[in-house]
Amino acid sequence: MKKTNLILASLLSCSLMLGGCAGKQTSSDSDTGKTTLTFFHRWPKEPEKSYFEEVVKEFEKQHPDIDIKTEAVLNDSYKDKIKVMTGTNTPPDVYFSWSDEFARQFVRGNKALDLTSYYKKDSAWSSKLVQSQIKPYTVNKKIYGVPVTMDGKMFFYNKDIFDKLGLKAPTNWNELLNVLSVLKKKHYTALEFGSQDTWTISHYVGTLNQRMIKPDVLSKDYNSKTGTFTDKGYVKALEKLEELVPYFNKNTNSIDHEYARQQFSNGKAAMFYAETAEIKLFGPTKFKIGMFNFPKVEDGKGNATNLTGSPEGFMISSKTKHPKEAMEFLEFLTSKQMGEKLVKEVGKYSAVNDTANSSNSTPEQLEAVDNILQAKEMAPWFDMAIDARIADAYLTGAQLMLNGDKTPKEVMKDVQKAAASVRAESKK
Amino acid sequence: MLKRNKLTPYLYLFPAFAFLLLVYIPIFQNIWDSLYEWSTFSPDKVFVGIDNYVHLFKDPVFYQALKNNILYAVISIIFQVGGGLIVAAVLEDKLIRKFSPFFRTVYFLPVVVSMTVIALLFTFFYNPEVGLLNQVLKMVGLDSLAKPWLGDSNTAIYAVIAVSQWQSIGYIAMLYIVAIQKISPELYEAAEIDGANKFKMFFHITVPQTKEMTFVAVILTLTGAFTVFNEPYILTGGGPGTSSEVLSTYLYKTAFSKDMMGYASSIATVILIITLLISLVQMKAFKTGKEDA
Repeated sequence: MKKTNLILASLLSCSLMLGGCAGKQTSSDSDTGKTTLTFFHRWPKEPEKSYFEEVVKEFEKQHPDIDIKTEAVLNDSYKDKIKVMTGTNTPPDVYFSWSDEFARQFVRGNKALDLTSYYKKDSAWSSKLVQSQIKPYTVNKKIYGVPVTMDGKMFFYNKDIFDKLGLKAPTNWNELLNVLSVLKKKHYTALEFGSQDTWTISHYVGTLNQRMIKPDVLSKDYNSKTGTFTDKGYVKALEKLEELVPYFNKNTNSIDHEYARQQFSNGKAAMFYAETAEIKLFGPTKFKIGMFNFPKVEDGKGNATNLTGSPEGFMISSKTKHPKEAMEFLEFLTSKQMGEKLVKEVGKYSAVNDTANSSNSTPEQLEAVDNILQAKEMAPWFDMAIDARIADAYLTGAQLMLNGDKTPKEVMKDVQKAAASVRAESKK
Repeated sequence: MLKRNKLTPYLYLFPAFAFLLLVYIPIFQNIWDSLYEWSTFSPDKVFVGIDNYVHLFKDPVFYQALKNNILYAVISIIFQVGGGLIVAAVLEDKLIRKFSPFFRTVYFLPVVVSMTVIALLFTFFYNPEVGLLNQVLKMVGLDSLAKPWLGDSNTAIYAVIAVSQWQSIGYIAMLYIVAIQKISPELYEAAEIDGANKFKMFFHITVPQTKEMTFVAVILTLTGAFTVFNEPYILTGGGPGTSSEVLSTYLYKTAFSKDMMGYASSIATVILIITLLISLVQMKAFKTGKEDA
């Protein structure tokens, strides 16, 4: 008897250990007969965290048979984690995804559910979405995601300083350089920039590429199967960025974007290139804020007017057992009511039509929304538009270029090398 | 009955063996994975043999990272092990023994603070415009030395290494304090009678008597230096460019942001080999295990 106990005990301890490692993650129905959905997003911080909590609560109230389990990790770790999680057998049912290449990688790996039929079936809902924001989630005419927010990158300027010096918002590159040099002569920090995190560089580079290079060349190069990055425009675009260096604050590489934003909103810098979603983060400023789109570049061959910026949204796992319920949740998330709540509480712009109005937005925010809606074309965030390996070579190189350690030509040489190895691999 | 009795000890050991498997299976799995080319998105793994290693040994970023790790190791040995011993010897000296508990706490405090907090603290410290370091340099008239410490490719890795020294010296010093307290006071008394000064006592009594602890400290700092991740990742993210990349941050980036899992596995294998070699060499050199006085 004693012996059997012993054997049982040791076996039990082993099975406990091994069982603990197996990790039981349920996306299946729980005991109560409720449908459980797992929901994974990238905002463990306020104000988004509470917003999503409240949306989930509201949804569960209206659908008592559905239970939603939320998980969230921050930005950069999200990028890493979601790749691993969608590779497992129990991926989250509904997960956050940036648009364009980031979304396409899920589609290529068969991790995302085709939502086209839902879009068609429930046109009362889908027609209310800002149509331009659906395209970045579309691959081969099939829609794989639901955009929740929309955003654009613009130059913001301190109107008080501009008025004092008699400056006007520039409409082309030379005017921009003029404005910057006047500001510099008057001892202002002309253009605040924090490039410690490389994504901030990607916004400049991406927009400059749009301005400098023919759209068909761009779309060929941004495709990982055909990208060569040999067009001379790429070097020129980086040279344009170099032209701005004298007008940036010093040591851009040791300053992060948040610090740079504070410098601008405290009135210490005259201009700042930022996302429209950041207007709320500027807080109440002592000066009036003006904004303009990245100006056209005189010798550029690309699109002179498009606005850089992408929607952010959600996708549904191809392995989900409850596609209908998951879609119901996403439609609820992008209802007009929830969109208005998003604008009011988070200060981001909902991808649902007519959700920003004077009751929940400042005049600056409304101006920003107008800019996004009126943009004839949107260009995706550069680091989301190209393969991560090419983006890495591109942006670490550009960061060194800002320090003066590399020339634009050297940077592009590394990019071409990275593109070549990505190309070779995608052909395998 | 007797036969079954013999089995019992092994049954007790069984959990330990299961645990060992859990440690070693991933290691071998990793080596196996490094022979394939795969990503989390690709449905199948492609066998590429030693291709990943061939690429790795041609990869300039790998050498940059390795160089930074070696720098990390050398500087850590000098400042943490050497500095730690000196700090410990000073704190255990008769003259300041009275205040020793206070200083011990002061030196040990950084060890218990989370690295994330420390890294955040030091980003402010190194800030080129409002940071304490540059402000102090400017105050004493050394303006020319003020630098964008974390943003300059030449200084970034040193700035990161300095943070680690600041944090870990207290830990090593604490180890040495324990070792020094074990030294019999008669040795020092005898030396004093023979007319030896403080330096002689340090080099001829403290250093040889704490040899065993030196071995532990060297292993700790060396393996620490080759597996360091938090400090460079939070402070610079490996930048600017790749100038402050170390092996583990490069591994992390390769695996999770570039999604090249096979290549990342090969980096992990190299880290494993390096740390394994270090421990083997040191075990031989120090003939550890025997506390010979």
